[in-house]
Amino acid sequence: MTPPPRDGRRLVPAYLATTGRARPSRNTLDRLTVLHGAADPSTVSGLRPEEIRLLELLRGGALSLAEAAAHLRLPVSVVKVLVADLVDTGRLMARAPIPDAELPERQILEKVLNGLRTLKSS
Amino acid sequence: MTEIPVALTVILSVGTAAAVALALLLARSTRETRRLRQRSAAADKDLQEALRQQAALAGRAQATEAEVRHLAGARIPDLTAALAHPNVPVRGLLDPSFRGTEVDRALTTVLEQVSDAVTKERLRVDGAAQAAMRGATTTIQALLYQLQTRLQTMQERYDDPFVAEDLLAADFLNEQALRRIQSTAIVCGAWPGLTRQNSHLGDIVVGAMSRLSGYERVQVTNQLRDPVGVVARAVEPAAVVLTELLANALHYSHPELPVAVTIQQGNRGASVIIDDAGVGMHAEEMDRAQRMMAGQDSVLLTELGDPPKTGFATVGQLAKQYGFTASVEPSPYGGVRAIVHIPGEPLLTLLDEEEQPMSPMAPVPRASASSAAPVASALPGHTATQRPAQPEPAQADTTQLGVGAGRTSEPTRPGPADDPHDQLSEDGLPRRRRRRPVPYVALGTPDEASAPASGGDSAAPARPAEAPQASPEESAQRWAAFQRGTNSGREAAETGTHPQVPPAPSPAPDHGSAVHHDHYADPRSAEGNPQE
Repeated sequence: MTPPPRDGRRLVPAYLATTGRARPSRNTLDRLTVLHGAADPSTVSGLRPEEIRLLELLRGGALSLAEAAAHLRLPVSVVKVLVADLVDTGRLMARAPIPDAELPERQILEKVLNGLRTLKSS
Repeated sequence: MTEIPVALTVILSVGTAAAVALALLLARSTRETRRLRQRSAAADKDLQEALRQQAALAGRAQATEAEVRHLAGARIPDLTAALAHPNVPVRGLLDPSFRGTEVDRALTTVLEQVSDAVTKERLRVDGAAQAAMRGATTTIQALLYQLQTRLQTMQERYDDPFVAEDLLAADFLNEQALRRIQSTAIVCGAWPGLTRQNSHLGDIVVGAMSRLSGYERVQVTNQLRDPVGVVARAVEPAAVVLTELLANALHYSHPELPVAVTIQQGNRGASVIIDDAGVGMHAEEMDRAQRMMAGQDSVLLTELGDPPKTGFATVGQLAKQYGFTASVEPSPYGGVRAIVHIPGEPLLTLLDEEEQPMSPMAPVPRASASSAAPVASALPGHTATQRPAQPEPAQADTTQLGVGAGRTSEPTRPGPADDPHDQLSEDGLPRRRRRRPVPYVALGTPDEASAPASGGDSAAPARPAEAPQASPEESAQRWAAFQRGTNSGREAAETGTHPQVPPAPSPAPDHGSAVHHDHYADPRSAEGNPQE
């Protein structure tokens, strides 16, 4: 995932978004984590501008963390911190992507199918 | 016998002759003596005079010598000190009796020559030092920019939190180094070293604060009503100016105290106001700062102290070159208030936020987006083309108010018409917003109340809630209907049995109302008429 092309040198550095933090308060987030705003978009007062803009971005629907980072033009590591903070305060929901490994394996499904067939035929 | 008288005669005559001669001689000698005495007296007087003169001359010579010694020992050192520190007094002549004499003139010439020579040499040495600094800083600055790019790329590339955090820290250190180098370079007469594209003023302020340690203390309030941007050539200079003033605010206030920054839009430009609650400056420092920030005098490194305090000098240089104005005054918070004014005419522009969004870290605008029409017109040329976008501020504003929950990702709002209806604040109470003046609000009520004779059909279409925004054609229609109603009412009054009914007042600007109606003031004058 590469950020959108930028013309010119950045004016505002990324560390400003998290005052230099890049270690999120939870380590369950990765690039494919799906984000959506909490059901109740409660008050945004007291939030920092970048958090407001992240919530605003997710108002249109769910986005993966990497996509959100690309839209905000921030490094993924920084957005993870933002997301973790917002999840901690309940303003944002983060859902792990469904990894391939958690789907039932094909062989098992085939075995179950075969077993059902033998039950039926017997 | 005769011989005797002869002899007597001879003797007598000789005796007489001798006596005469003697008398003559005597007289002559007396005269001579007198003359000699006179001469001797004169010579004596001359001698006295000469002695006195000689004494006076010796005194004079001594005084001159003393004067020259005074020049060498006191006045020239004073002068050189005064050239470096203007408040050092230069001593005058030792002996006031020399004033205006040739000696005085000669000594003054010496002083002038020395002053000239010292000044020239000072400028030359300072120029050489500045050139050396420029050369070094330009190279270092370029390298630091490369490092910045590298760090940024790495930030995108590495997700590992520990690595990422170190990269962010390194980036921050790099920014601080860059700022130091850049400000030194500018004081030494270099250009800011970077051209950016047109940028949002909010981005510039946030970018400026990101270059300083202690940026967490800076609280930015964005009161811009429009997406005001700074034109490309002035972006980096503006950022540097703001960085230096913010650095002062942060440095001279307690590390716990906030520094308040307000971005304001004025009629003729935009201002950034930086308030700290720190130790403040006394009047003399204020004066000096003002003088330096005016940028009128050329900067000498030797005048900036050791280590050189480059802040105000940097601001002055850039202000002069790019046309900002910067000033300091005592802040109501007790510290210093620094104000940077960026004139709208050559330096500001309006940016399209769809094309060029603000940085996510930039402060969210506070003010309503729909009230800015008269102010925006002060901004140069771009108003007409870029106004219709009406982008981010409205969107961000609703975000901050906590409304717009039902809206999806539609970022723009249609216009001011729906403002009064969806303005619910977080506690559910309606919130008033400034709007564009809508003529029918003012028009509807008095129309109905004071001119019932004109009939309901003319008042009804002019109700505010139904059509707050009407095209000129529509309003022309309505005014025509109003006129028709008035006329029919009059006719009814004239032909009817009750002529005492007062004629319904006719609005003055009936004719050509479609034209008039474009101006919002006009319907109000019409509104005034029925009440007369």
